[in-house]
Amino acid sequence: MGISSQKALLFDSTRCIGCGACYVACKQVNRLPPAQENFLDEKLSAASVTVVNQRNGRFVRRLCMHCQNPTCVSVCPVAALEKTVEGPVIYHADRCMGCRYCMQACPFNVPTYEWNQTQPRIKKCTMCYERVKQGKSTACAEVCPTGATLFGNRDELIEEARARIRAHPAQYINHIYGLQEVGGTSVLVLSDVPIETLGYPTHVGTEPLPMLTWEVLRKIPNFVVVGSVLLGGIWWITKRRVEVQRAEQQEEV
Amino acid sequence: MSRIKLPQLTFWRVVLVIILIAGLYSTVIRFTRGLGASTALSDQFPWGLWIGFDVLCGVALAAGGFTLSAVVYIFHVERFRPIVRPAILTAFLGYLLVIVALIYDLGKPYNIWHPLVMWNTRSVMFEVAWCVMLYTLVLALEFSPMVFERWQLQKPLKIIHALTIPLVIVGVILSMLHQSSLGSLFLIVPHKLHALWYSPLLPVFFFISAVALGCAMTIFESFLSFRAFGKRLELDLLADLGKVMVVVLGVYLVLKGQDLLERGAWELAFEPTYAGRMFLAENLLGIIAPIILLLIARIRNNDFGLFVSAVMVVLGFIMNRLNVSITGIEANAGIFYFPSWMEIAVTTMIVALGFVLFGLAVRYLPVFPMKEQLPAERVVPLPAAALLHPAKRRTAALVLALTVILGGSAIALAYSGLQHRSRLMTTTDTPSTQPEAQVVEHSLQLPADKEFPQHEDSPGPVTFSHTTHVDPTQPSCTVCHARTFRIIETHQAPLSVNMHDRQACGLCHDGERAFSINDGCTTCHRLP
Repeated sequence: MGISSQKALLFDSTRCIGCGACYVACKQVNRLPPAQENFLDEKLSAASVTVVNQRNGRFVRRLCMHCQNPTCVSVCPVAALEKTVEGPVIYHADRCMGCRYCMQACPFNVPTYEWNQTQPRIKKCTMCYERVKQGKSTACAEVCPTGATLFGNRDELIEEARARIRAHPAQYINHIYGLQEVGGTSVLVLSDVPIETLGYPTHVGTEPLPMLTWEVLRKIPNFVVVGSVLLGGIWWITKRRVEVQRAEQQEEV
Repeated sequence: MSRIKLPQLTFWRVVLVIILIAGLYSTVIRFTRGLGASTALSDQFPWGLWIGFDVLCGVALAAGGFTLSAVVYIFHVERFRPIVRPAILTAFLGYLLVIVALIYDLGKPYNIWHPLVMWNTRSVMFEVAWCVMLYTLVLALEFSPMVFERWQLQKPLKIIHALTIPLVIVGVILSMLHQSSLGSLFLIVPHKLHALWYSPLLPVFFFISAVALGCAMTIFESFLSFRAFGKRLELDLLADLGKVMVVVLGVYLVLKGQDLLERGAWELAFEPTYAGRMFLAENLLGIIAPIILLLIARIRNNDFGLFVSAVMVVLGFIMNRLNVSITGIEANAGIFYFPSWMEIAVTTMIVALGFVLFGLAVRYLPVFPMKEQLPAERVVPLPAAALLHPAKRRTAALVLALTVILGGSAIALAYSGLQHRSRLMTTTDTPSTQPEAQVVEHSLQLPADKEFPQHEDSPGPVTFSHTTHVDPTQPSCTVCHARTFRIIETHQAPLSVNMHDRQACGLCHDGERAFSINDGCTTCHRLP
């Protein structure tokens, strides 16, 4: 499976009517606590790994963006998070030790925690990985009545998004959110208003964040080798000096 | 007839018992009901006091150990040999306490061993985990001679003695990696950490400040153990440490200044914001004040002056770590975190445990050089006692005056920052949206009111006022002026759109974000 057949989701906020079908279906498929009446006010939490909110008069979905080069995957010390070849970013609870660095580092503030469990897990959307592996669509895309959420190959969805912007230049801002943000994500968003007014972070840049720490980490082996030799050398030279001083003192005596 | 002797009831023992009871109660809650019941942490604020204080400051306690063992064993500066042992002891205790704190903070502490077998070499946390494990081992070995000597175990002493130099080298390398890696942890959140603290140089800053803290803690402990046991280090050695501290703090200050200039963030330090004020307080208290004090020879060679400077460095250092991990993250998260009483109770218990263990080690192990059994009234690093010393009265007065001026300014700055914070907490309910990047507060100079004349079938003219539409605590022009209204058009006729629809006022006045346009015409329109 190459990068070209990676799966992704396209969310067109201009088509979303805020019905909450995706929110309910997600809860059913992932066996999460039941849906709330006033679900439009809900935040992402261990109980809801996708939510629909109202922002700027539009309905917007919040869910894991499934980055191409995920920050959470790079920061996890025990590789409990994994970017699969199919595209979804999945979580292995049995590896996790609960340091919550992924929550701290995620530029989209997506991962949430089971704060009230004694064996807590990170909770986030997994892009219905089990279903996707079987060739099915995600639950949210399957139930969306207006086609606001589409599931498919990432490159095909990018083409679709571009086609929509070309066909209705007045209806969309000319920006596919997720195409380049933090090096690209597998959830793409279309909008008719500035994307930041929908509550998506826009100042995250276009570079993958893991590069920031890798630049430091990759120097460690060199640092260890050079440092050890240097310290050993200093010890050897100064030791010699101390010995010489001692010998001179004895000669004087 | 022998009666059971109860331990004496002293003030500190009572305090210790209270701390223990609160700490143990919190421990039970933490491990039976989870982090949610015992901490103030949330999905929006996953790292709190236990990481910011216990781990970040606890690890730095070890800095004295590696610095001094390098100076003595690698550079052969024999004068400092008497300081090495207390520094190693502090380091070892620091790491043990960090491990205890991690067991509290990790969601699944029983998986703490996983980094041994589950690797991700691209994770800074992985590096941190390995440094904790390896350096604790090294410190245990460096600490072991004190135990072997106490019980006259010649054979292990010989073995350890042969290993000293390789151990010290490994220890120094690991320490440099670990101190800096705690700073590297925050490299991955450029958009979440306030620009006053986020910097590509974070690992360097963490390392340098840790070295300064190592010197300060050595001075601080020396005086404490003198008060408690009459054992302490020579004053001239400590004065030399003071000199080293000035140099280290000076390097830090210069680098930090350059870094702020280069990133164009220095102006933020002088904004009257919570973050700005805390930043100034941290650097005034922990860097500038001790440099000023220790540059004065009279103060540097005076026990009271040294003690005060060391305390300043320690407090400033703790402020810095809490600012990086809490203040600087709060500023951009639009959420306020204050630790729960149980978090504080656990932290207090861990710190108290450290003091107790240090005391036991000093009492029963050969930590300090043995010759120092001084009459206890000779020098006591307390202002009152120092002032009673006629010879030292003038120096003590000078130290007190400088402390009041500099420390007082730092406290005043922090206080005004906290006031700003509480204002923010009351005026804004936590924004659930992403905050605007870097809020900068100037004294707001808003454009004048704008008059929209009466249009056909309009009930009357409308005056738009910027003052009622801009939140002074979080002013942002781009909320409206990104695309909705172009600023330049202000002198033209009203927009060619219906003002009530989504292109204009109706964008926000929908009854959700602000009152609805249907809430009565006179709310906006002046009737003729």
